[in-house]
Amino acid sequence: MILKLITSATEALGGLSRRFRRQSIEAPLWERALFYLTLGVVGFVSVFPFYYMGVTSLVPESWLYSRVPQAIPALADLTLENYEALFGAESVPFVQYFLNSLFIGTVSAALGLAFSIFGAYSFARLEYPGRWVFSRGVLVNYMFAGILLVIPIFQIIVWAKLVNTRLGIIVTHFIFVIPLGLYLLGNYFRSVPREIEEAGLMDGYSRLEVIVRITLPMSKPAIVATYMYAFLLSWNEYLYASVILRDQSLYTLPIGIEQLQYAFQNVWGDVMAASVVTTIPVLLIFLYLQKYLVEGLSFGNMD
Amino acid sequence: MSTSIRRWVTSWSVFDREYTIEQKETLLGYGLILPSILLVGASLIYPVAYNVYLSFTEVPLDPTESPEWVGLANYEALLTDPEFWQAAQNTLVFTFFSDVGATALGLGVALLFRNKFRGDGVMRGLVLLPYIAPLIAVAFTWRWLLQPTYGIVPHLLQDVLGIYSPGENIRQTMEMVIIFDTWRYFPFAFLLILARVRSIPEELYEAAKIDGAGRFARFKDITLPELKFVLAAVFLLRWIWNFNVFTDVWLFVGNNVPILGTFVYVKGFNTIPPNQGFAAAVANLMVIALFALVLVYVRYILDW
Repeated sequence: MILKLITSATEALGGLSRRFRRQSIEAPLWERALFYLTLGVVGFVSVFPFYYMGVTSLVPESWLYSRVPQAIPALADLTLENYEALFGAESVPFVQYFLNSLFIGTVSAALGLAFSIFGAYSFARLEYPGRWVFSRGVLVNYMFAGILLVIPIFQIIVWAKLVNTRLGIIVTHFIFVIPLGLYLLGNYFRSVPREIEEAGLMDGYSRLEVIVRITLPMSKPAIVATYMYAFLLSWNEYLYASVILRDQSLYTLPIGIEQLQYAFQNVWGDVMAASVVTTIPVLLIFLYLQKYLVEGLSFGNMD
Repeated sequence: MSTSIRRWVTSWSVFDREYTIEQKETLLGYGLILPSILLVGASLIYPVAYNVYLSFTEVPLDPTESPEWVGLANYEALLTDPEFWQAAQNTLVFTFFSDVGATALGLGVALLFRNKFRGDGVMRGLVLLPYIAPLIAVAFTWRWLLQPTYGIVPHLLQDVLGIYSPGENIRQTMEMVIIFDTWRYFPFAFLLILARVRSIPEELYEAAKIDGAGRFARFKDITLPELKFVLAAVFLLRWIWNFNVFTDVWLFVGNNVPILGTFVYVKGFNTIPPNQGFAAAVANLMVIALFALVLVYVRYILDW
């Protein structure tokens, strides 16, 4: 049911361009003024925390801890010292956190997709009894957020002797990626025209060859988009990383940043610098993902 | 007897048969999805069952020992624990108000974007920022904005508006957690609602205008009915996620506004000694309560 709703919402966005109309010119001046004012407030509320995060990361301690907090720094105040402290600190291997997150995200997203590509194709396109159970089953996932399963999964990780290992966190993230992959790619494969695949079958390809030689190459952009969502899921994940990883050298960014507050003098400058460094890759990915925004974001987040 | 068994086995054997195309498709279908199903099953169904088992045990600290069966003791302890009831109550308050907040704000902003305007795409991207940015970054930015001594928001409230007394920590309040969560998730509601808003035919509004319907009447009689479905879905999804929330609240206020999610975490991992059997029992009650709430919502309120 939810799936249907969301796909219909998605389709509706596709039909947007037909409906676009310019703000009608007859609208009275006060109305237009009110419109832009409201828009300004909404924009300000959405963006201000990010602006302040950036500013804080670029100013010295004295600016931050003055008696009267300010919002706009003078150009002369700007400095990169927080970033230098962050990357140069002996006590905090921030670069290591970044690399750990990058590695864990890259590997677990790839593993997750390797499985879910074929699973998604199976229930999106092939006809067999019981198929609906699988396509609905994906939705049950909505109900089981990470916190509900953290105790048993942690116990399984303990049993498998994977506590405090990268493998432990990769396995967890990789399994969380699968439902995301099934959901996003399943929706996508349904939209691939059957005729193209049937032509392949006519030419003597087996179904598997059709998938590998026709459908997958055609779906490359959607697969890349799904991969990026999967990567972000791992990049942002906090709960499981916090219970599985113990050694500082294994920390991912979310736990690493949480620990920063104990390590620095000018805590907020450094924490905000770390936040900027964590946010930038995400923003770059979303710039690329624009076309897939509704589908991807409607899956929701892991926690 | 044995020949008939052999025949039966052969008839089902994957290798010794000529298949029709449909049968091949079926086999391939199962074959392709099997690995995913096994993995997700192993990571969803098994842990759910294991969690039920753990909730009836005392989980030892030493992983080489096996859990000790204690029957209903965890549940008894739980139901008489005032902290649990406090967390449960907080969860309901938080879930309801942050859900209403995010859905209503999302609706409002979506209506604002109904007609395309100059800079529409850029504005949409900016409005989505709170939702797409990493949680850790926004949670800490909000902590800094609300920091009692040097934070810019307390400063504005106290020195400029004079509605805040020094020493107060407005971050660690239920209201602020709700505001934070509303801010973070209204773009989700906005995105889904916007798609529907923009697909409402303009003709409906024009016809209503000709009939003399005012602004409010047009909203009540055209916009709301057209959006009923998507609003209900957004509310439901956000309800599920807010009910199960952990990371948002934990990173923003730690254990200062206890909810069920943080209660599970604290009991299972953050107390000495941890009591994972007890935490498992809390998680199980959460699952049951959430299913019940969702069922009631879907059956009686949504009337699907």
